[in-house]
Amino acid sequence: MLIKIKRGWEKPESAVTPEHLFWNRRQLIKGIAAGSILAGGTALLGGDAVAQADPSSSLYPFKKNDKYKAPRPVTPEMLAATYNNYYEFGSSKRIYEAAKALPLRPWEVKFSGMIEKPFTLGIDDLMKKMPLEERVYAHRCVEAWSMVVPWSGFAMKALVEMAKPLAGAKYVAMKTFMNPKVAPGQRAAWYPWPYTEGLTIEEATNELTLLVTGAYGKPLPHSMGSPLRLHTPWKYGFKAVKGVVSFEFTDKRPKSFWEELQASEYGFWANVNPDVPHPRWSQAQETVLGQDEKVPTVIWNGYGEFVAHLYKDIKGEQLFM
Amino acid sequence: MAPWQDSRGRLAPLKAIAFAALFVPAAWLLYGYLARTLGPRPLTEIIHASGDWAIRLLFVALAITPLRQILGWPGLIALRRMAGVAALAYAGLHLSVYVADVSFDLGKAAREIWLRSYLTIGFVALLALIPLGVTSTDAMTRRLGGKRWRRLHRASYAIAVLAIVHFFWQSKLDIREPVIMAGLFLWLMAFRLLPTAARRGGAMLAAMAGLAVLAAALAALIEALYYNLRVGAPLARVLEANLGFANGVSPAAIVLAATLGAVAAGAARAAFLAIARRPGTGARALAPAARA
Repeated sequence: MLIKIKRGWEKPESAVTPEHLFWNRRQLIKGIAAGSILAGGTALLGGDAVAQADPSSSLYPFKKNDKYKAPRPVTPEMLAATYNNYYEFGSSKRIYEAAKALPLRPWEVKFSGMIEKPFTLGIDDLMKKMPLEERVYAHRCVEAWSMVVPWSGFAMKALVEMAKPLAGAKYVAMKTFMNPKVAPGQRAAWYPWPYTEGLTIEEATNELTLLVTGAYGKPLPHSMGSPLRLHTPWKYGFKAVKGVVSFEFTDKRPKSFWEELQASEYGFWANVNPDVPHPRWSQAQETVLGQDEKVPTVIWNGYGEFVAHLYKDIKGEQLFM
Repeated sequence: MAPWQDSRGRLAPLKAIAFAALFVPAAWLLYGYLARTLGPRPLTEIIHASGDWAIRLLFVALAITPLRQILGWPGLIALRRMAGVAALAYAGLHLSVYVADVSFDLGKAAREIWLRSYLTIGFVALLALIPLGVTSTDAMTRRLGGKRWRRLHRASYAIAVLAIVHFFWQSKLDIREPVIMAGLFLWLMAFRLLPTAARRGGAMLAAMAGLAVLAAALAALIEALYYNLRVGAPLARVLEANLGFANGVSPAAIVLAATLGAVAAGAARAAFLAIARRPGTGARALAPAARA
């Protein structure tokens, strides 16, 4: 017997909260509490306060690039924006509000290490120099859940070319901001803050590798790593460092935040592979956010045609951890 | 005898309230599941929450005997079985929802439990709770006899240790609650190390206050050792964090507050009874238990 239970998200379009109401429900409640629906209404008409303060918001939406296909429909924005690992702001997934404490401007991005000439660039100037586009990619978390997001950003290849690395540079290390005043997680001084991640130059300049400034046709919400984060769709999500302030080119393999914490569970390569379990759980399947049924995980998260060749000649490394 | 009745079949308000309260977390989870307020992975949420409650209730059951003495409240014993059986029920829910989360693929669930050591440990703890639940009825207690029953139910200490290890091991970054559990466990066990004769009166309260400080210090040390072994954080640096509130209230501080709070409540009650007992104070009528 097949019993079809209607899931929570299986709702008619008419039941969907209009986006401006969803993002401003606090102002709405405040407005009502103040006994002034009018005041609340004005705040609503003003739109998203974050988008307003963000000088890059007029650049959106970016031109769509349809070359890369995602395996499933786009995840509802509300789920993608409110279910996030961002340990700087707390160890639960509900950091959407807490992460808003991070000031996004001025936002200086530092380029250093083995490049022709180290320099610093504000995020808005950086965006002006980069070929902005939108791509729909799947995101597979190491915790065996996944989503599909229309990311806005630019190919990291363009950023590497701008930085002009020296011939000896083999890796790019990326670091998150460090600001324990607004990021309570960073007050636990025994963790290896700031969050660090790294790619080989070949990975960083692969056509898939995206530096992300927005999603769903708008600047990123704080919770998703605004104003600048990485996305490597064939790797587990923890590689996708958020709130990036530094790119350092180096000949030494960087040790990432999670590798420092637990090298036996989280490695440098972290490529998606259903046949290599995490020591504490299987990676064979994944929960798609907003969907109860699990789906099988695919090697390289389905992006093998673009990246599998990168690893052909690498021997003796744990590529899938 | 229903869970809300005393041994003579009358309504026992304390038991009735506790019995109803035990359903609150499950009802909350069920509501959250149906109302879709548990986020995009509701089963994962329920697995975590039901596991949390299983351990918490196991600790409530373990705390009853010490708290009876400390608070001078023998009637608390009426809640011990209820808390223990509820711990088993939440642990059963925990496992059932895990099985649901692997799409009811029993083979996969069994393989995972076998392959992942922390799951194995949790599973053993749950299996070990079952005989305790089965023998929790009055009839079984009589059949086993007090001595054998107590010996069997001492397994709950070992189960608590397994549960704490399982709890630590599944944590990704946040080990606050397992550290708190470990600290409380040490304090509860310390009570059992007191000689029977010393398990009463002011001397016992003083001893438990001292042990509260010791348990909190050990909790801080466990936390520091965890970070030292896992991240190589200097012990002193993690221990230092207990002295301020920069990281919020530390787990050791919570252990200290909970344990000293219990001792303080017990001392306040004892002081009240001492005054009430004095002839001519007129407070006697306020404290019928003072006759005991």
